[in-house]
Amino acid sequence: MTERPKTFTIATYGLSHMRHNVMRTITVLVTLMITMGFLILTLSLFFGLASEFDTDSERRSILEGKVPTSTDLFRDLRIDRDMSEGSRQALVELLLFTTVLVCTVSFFIIYNTMALSVRERRREIGILRALGLSSWEVTKLFLAEGGFIGLVSWISALFLGMPLILNLSVYLLERGDTAFFFVAPAIPPQLLVVSFLSCMGLCLVSTYLAARTRIGSSPVKLMRSQE
Amino acid sequence: MPREPFILLEDVSKGYSVGGQPVHALDHLTLSIDKGDMCALMGPSGAGKTTLLNMIGGLDVPDSGKVMVGGLDLSRLNEMQRASFRKRNVGFIFQFYNLIPSLTAYENVLVPVMFERDQRRSRAEELLDRMGLSRRMDHRPSELSGGERQRVAIARALMNDPPLILADEPTGNIDSETAREIVSLFRQLNDEGKTLIMATHDRMMAGKARSMLRMRDGRISGIKASPRSSTVHLGSAQYQTQARE
Ligand SMILES: Nc1ncnc2c1ncn2[C@@H]1O[C@H](COP(=O)(O)OP(=O)(O)OP(=O)(O)O)[C@@H](O)[C@H]1O
Ligand SMILES: [Mg+2]
Repeated sequence: MTERPKTFTIATYGLSHMRHNVMRTITVLVTLMITMGFLILTLSLFFGLASEFDTDSERRSILEGKVPTSTDLFRDLRIDRDMSEGSRQALVELLLFTTVLVCTVSFFIIYNTMALSVRERRREIGILRALGLSSWEVTKLFLAEGGFIGLVSWISALFLGMPLILNLSVYLLERGDTAFFFVAPAIPPQLLVVSFLSCMGLCLVSTYLAARTRIGSSPVKLMRSQE
Repeated sequence: MPREPFILLEDVSKGYSVGGQPVHALDHLTLSIDKGDMCALMGPSGAGKTTLLNMIGGLDVPDSGKVMVGGLDLSRLNEMQRASFRKRNVGFIFQFYNLIPSLTAYENVLVPVMFERDQRRSRAEELLDRMGLSRRMDHRPSELSGGERQRVAIARALMNDPPLILADEPTGNIDSETAREIVSLFRQLNDEGKTLIMATHDRMMAGKARSMLRMRDGRISGIKASPRSSTVHLGSAQYQTQARE
């Protein structure tokens, strides 16, 4: 006889659902990962600019290809000292604007992705409600799943995206002929915190908003909908 | 001694608008059903059987009228209270099983208690065992036959040990042999004290019930109580039925 789960929880439910709908889950994961990758990249450029002026030695170490090893993964690389205060300010503002834009676009992409996957599960929501789960309990199921997918895509965006960011920065520093010459994208601990909070926030809020309307509607109507 | 009916509907109406046309799914319906009854609900398609079951089970609210179950006025409850009413008092069995496709039979039975502290998991196994599914517990619905799926759904409906079972064409997609088994299971549950109401097109099934309600166009068009218990009352007919006892 096979081993049955000790407890049947939200996690069991969510994982079963994700395993059972692998393609759907992968699509959602990849969409979120790319979106979050952009978000993290923008944030890292922003952090790179906003941080203090730097010494040449640090920039050189990137050029020497010392960066991304796991130990100095969080190395805080900063902008060139040759840059004037005015243009630095302008770049910071531009990046701030871009960050807000990327956040907004990310939100809509994530929201749509979540809304679509909630829509596909209308009938399931109706069944759960008919069985006596409250709206809030069903919402919790969706939040747990959305949060988990958000977490996984954040981690993969970060660990796949980080070498990309650092390589990009080496490339830009070597070329040295663009505005980015002045910018060395940074991956300071703050970036981890801010990107984590914004990615999870976007995921949870959009899951909540997408789920709320469906979950709140009549169980009878939900169950009548075709899959 | 006047009996307190378990289920009491008073002048209940429910309408839908289908393509701009109003449809009276329930049309000023009044009826009562006693505790311990096993009632078959018959009538042509579109008569309002499903709508009636949804009202009694607290899945839907009437446009007007009163729905009382076990002394509780369902129309006064908000959605959250209705959810907890459903969880504790009603076991639903649907024509299309309505199992969660990603979960195994065993997990499906546990869904109603997912958020409960004490999940009584051994009860889930016992129920599946009783349904003759002890070898199917770890199978997903797609790996089960129609009859097996419906038995999983019955086990799920029984998980919270509700006093009321509402079955909407439970044998609609099942061969007659399995249907017979399910009906005899319903009889057993009824003997154990559960009140059952089942919408069905199946005469065999209706024949095994204690009483029968016939519906048409959102109204009760006929009523039949078997000699062993006349427990269904309909508007003024209520007194006739009781007088016969
Ligand atoms: N959610 C809804 N939206 C629109 N119309 C509905 C809805 N629910 C029920 N109806 C209509 O109400 C009437 C009664 O429907 P109901 O499902 O209760 O019938 P039924 O007796 O269960 O039929 P069947 O035997 O086919 O299951 C039908 O005319 C149906 O079209
Ligand atoms: Mg029906």
